[in-house]
Amino acid sequence: MFASIYLTSRQHPRGRSFMGRGFAVLFAMVFSMVSLLGAANVHAEVPNAIPPIGTHNGEDVPQPIEFPHDIHADVNEINCMYCHTYARRSKVAGIPPTSKCMGCHSVVATDKPRIQKLTEYWENKQSPDWNKVHDVPDFVHFTHEKHLKRFVFENEGMDVDNVSEVCAFCHGDVKKMTVANKTKPLTMGFCVRCHEANDGPSDCWKCHK
Amino acid sequence: MSGNDINRRDFLKFMGLGGVGAATLSGCDMPTTVTLEEGKEKVVSYLAPEEYVIPGIGVWYASTCQQCPSSCGIHGRVREGRVLKVEGNPESSVNGGGLCQMAHAGLQSHYNPDRLRKPLIRKGGTLTEVSWKEAWAVVEEKLAASDSAKTGWMTGTVSGHQAVLLDALQEANGSNKHYVYEAINNSVGESVNKAMLGEATPRYRFDKAQSILSFGADFLGTWVSPVHFSKEYAEFRTGDRGVLMVVEPKMTLTGANADFWVPAKPGTEGVLALGIANVLLTKHQADAKLLPASVRKLISEYNVAKVTEVTGVGGDSVVKITNHLKNHAPSIVMSGASAHEHENGYFNATAAMVLNILLGNVGKTIESSGAMPDVKLASKTGSSSAAMRLAADADKGALETLFITGANPVFTVPSYVGLVDKLAKVPFKVSLTSFMDETAALSDVILPLLSSYEDWGTTAAAYQPTEKVIGIQQPLMQPLYAETKGFGDVLLDLLKIQGAEQYGAYTDYYSYLQNALYSLPASVKQGLSDADFWHDSLKKGLIKVGDAKGSLSVKTIDLTAPSFEDNADFPMVLAPSARQGLWDGRLANIPWLQEAPDQITKIFWDSWAELHPSTAKKFGVKEGDVIQVESDQGSIEAQVYIYKGVHPDVVAVPMGQGHENYGRYATNLGVNPLKILSPGTDKVTGEIAAHATRVRISKTGKSSDLARLGGSETQVGRKLVSTVSADVFRRTEGGGNVA
Repeated sequence: MFASIYLTSRQHPRGRSFMGRGFAVLFAMVFSMVSLLGAANVHAEVPNAIPPIGTHNGEDVPQPIEFPHDIHADVNEINCMYCHTYARRSKVAGIPPTSKCMGCHSVVATDKPRIQKLTEYWENKQSPDWNKVHDVPDFVHFTHEKHLKRFVFENEGMDVDNVSEVCAFCHGDVKKMTVANKTKPLTMGFCVRCHEANDGPSDCWKCHK
Repeated sequence: MSGNDINRRDFLKFMGLGGVGAATLSGCDMPTTVTLEEGKEKVVSYLAPEEYVIPGIGVWYASTCQQCPSSCGIHGRVREGRVLKVEGNPESSVNGGGLCQMAHAGLQSHYNPDRLRKPLIRKGGTLTEVSWKEAWAVVEEKLAASDSAKTGWMTGTVSGHQAVLLDALQEANGSNKHYVYEAINNSVGESVNKAMLGEATPRYRFDKAQSILSFGADFLGTWVSPVHFSKEYAEFRTGDRGVLMVVEPKMTLTGANADFWVPAKPGTEGVLALGIANVLLTKHQADAKLLPASVRKLISEYNVAKVTEVTGVGGDSVVKITNHLKNHAPSIVMSGASAHEHENGYFNATAAMVLNILLGNVGKTIESSGAMPDVKLASKTGSSSAAMRLAADADKGALETLFITGANPVFTVPSYVGLVDKLAKVPFKVSLTSFMDETAALSDVILPLLSSYEDWGTTAAAYQPTEKVIGIQQPLMQPLYAETKGFGDVLLDLLKIQGAEQYGAYTDYYSYLQNALYSLPASVKQGLSDADFWHDSLKKGLIKVGDAKGSLSVKTIDLTAPSFEDNADFPMVLAPSARQGLWDGRLANIPWLQEAPDQITKIFWDSWAELHPSTAKKFGVKEGDVIQVESDQGSIEAQVYIYKGVHPDVVAVPMGQGHENYGRYATNLGVNPLKILSPGTDKVTGEIAAHATRVRISKTGKSSDLARLGGSETQVGRKLVSTVSADVFRRTEGGGNVA
């Protein structure tokens, strides 16, 4: 839906190299997504929103592969929802399937040890066991879909390129992290204050159902 | 709402978030154990997901329930590769979208921590876990060394392509020893239907009936196809409200719904039926020519006075039942376990069918169902006589190898049969099961099966309410354990050992089933290509195979007068009632069903003995007292539950509990009334006379509170449930048809 709009904006050098190698499918999938972020500000405002307040000093969580969010989301400006594609459709954002990683990394940065480790997983038909960083208790019903609707897709004046600013409400500035680290408390008070500030629902059963 | 109003919700919002928010919410900033956890849980992505898969959003697949033999269609919600919930399949004519608690609890069978994960073989007397390969090698070796004509199979109800393969296997073995065993069955009823009407399982049209008389057929709980009958029953009660009358020794779920509930002396139900026939012939000018002279003569002997003497049912009640049947035509008369499981069970069922003939119900409310178009797929329904035949064959050395699946005879067959000792004479026994149970524990090899949510299969329900359907059982998720196998796959493997060449081409049961469906007649496939038909069948969860309905006609009627004896030593009768929930005990390892209180007594996680208040008074026992129930075969102890819905000469102990070896949830809970049954079988069919055991009760001096939901039988005047008297109801809503 938003992929087609920005095809003429600044193209990423790597996008060309895909073209040069004739990866038409990859072009359609990756290049357009990468480039659509071209015009994004580093810290754009999210209209009609008051971000939640609160910080948390999360511990470092080791991961099987030290995935660099910064290289992907910041340096290469890939939209968060390109990989976490389920966020706008489901309650969970989803860890990208290994096939998605390999979509690029069968050709990109294949000489890097982390990619070689990833390729090893892929060839063994295995997904890495990632360690969960952000979680809410089982008695809390949280849905990414509704939050993205409110702050992105049904938010007048909101540019979908800046979605990372909305993600950052609860996940912190992941763009600047390598592996994700929990920097927001995600406690009930944190949720409820934001709901109050942004006119979100306040019925108990909205979250505790 | 005007601008100045503050409603309650706004007020609470204000209290919670506004003025005092900072103070109130500070508690909500305490991190919980979960929010404190970082990196403690794993999150694993898909390797390469199917296109339609979105984590967090469920996909529904159609399949068929295997919790009891009714074969209801189900839809299972699958999320992230896990089945999470089942609901009824609205397209299934068997259950029309409805499901019972036992079906809903199927998830706890599938995810049960006691499921067998690896095969076991007997090594030096004890069962030891081994790989499938090692266990299979033992099976192959033993089969090679034994006489295949002496191979027996004991199964529960089996139908569809599993039945086809099993028949083919036994044919290859040169053996006809297939024992289809169900402790809860309608075998006597089927025999009577077959003999008198020509069809074992005709259709009962509650929707066309105005009155129902049931002799112990608990059609809302455990009789034949309860979910279907519950739906039909709702229709029967809507609009022109039909009249339900139930005759049984212990109130069942159906009895509790009756307008008129009559406890007859156990075993005399047939006499009561003939008494009603007598009134029909003498007072209501029923057409006597419908019956042969010998039967008319027998009926004439059972005048009201005689019937009251034999059955203990008052003459006014006999007349009242007859009037209802006559005034609310058409009617249906049916019979079930508590009438069937006596030495004169066949007589009881026949007498009930005589009433249908006299009332003109045959062809009107009891319709032909016809045979399955492909009879090989038809359901092989179970009987208890099958277990007796197995015991006899095992005893005389007619079996060298025995495969057991879908049945736990060591738990459900009465002790007097001596099944354990007789099975010991079978040199090689293989159990195909998902759980260790009393029967599997005696086997030489246990092959763990896939759960019903992991396996492939087809089922044809024995009771087909409308157009005939074959239910598709398709896996709702990948197998949880690698060293388990499907029932159909094991049958195929055994066929391959037997060298049945036409099966060699199939790599697994899936490919066999696919091919079998491809080769169904074009009329069934409705012009679809093989691949489209396969996908369509899986999507719907069923295949409509058309109807071969005939018409019912009365064939023979044969009645011999029964005789009843009193037994001064054992003055009472034991009613081992079936529980909608635990069934015959196979579902006792499901905690949800243990936790769900019994519908009548509201007792859970235990057994109990129901006594009539007058009986309890006579013996000086009060609720919660532990009594001993003793037959000539042994005794059991259970706490007393005092209730008017039981005949004064009857002590009712539900079956399903008393497991000795059935996992952590079922073992050592309650008692098994089937263990103390006295010898006795129906004279015609050989079915176990499970409702005929004479017992005596005595106090043990022990007493404690019953584990029971709700402590009071009354509403203490609080009108929690509104009630209206029958008189008022008749005038206002009842349609004026309750006499």
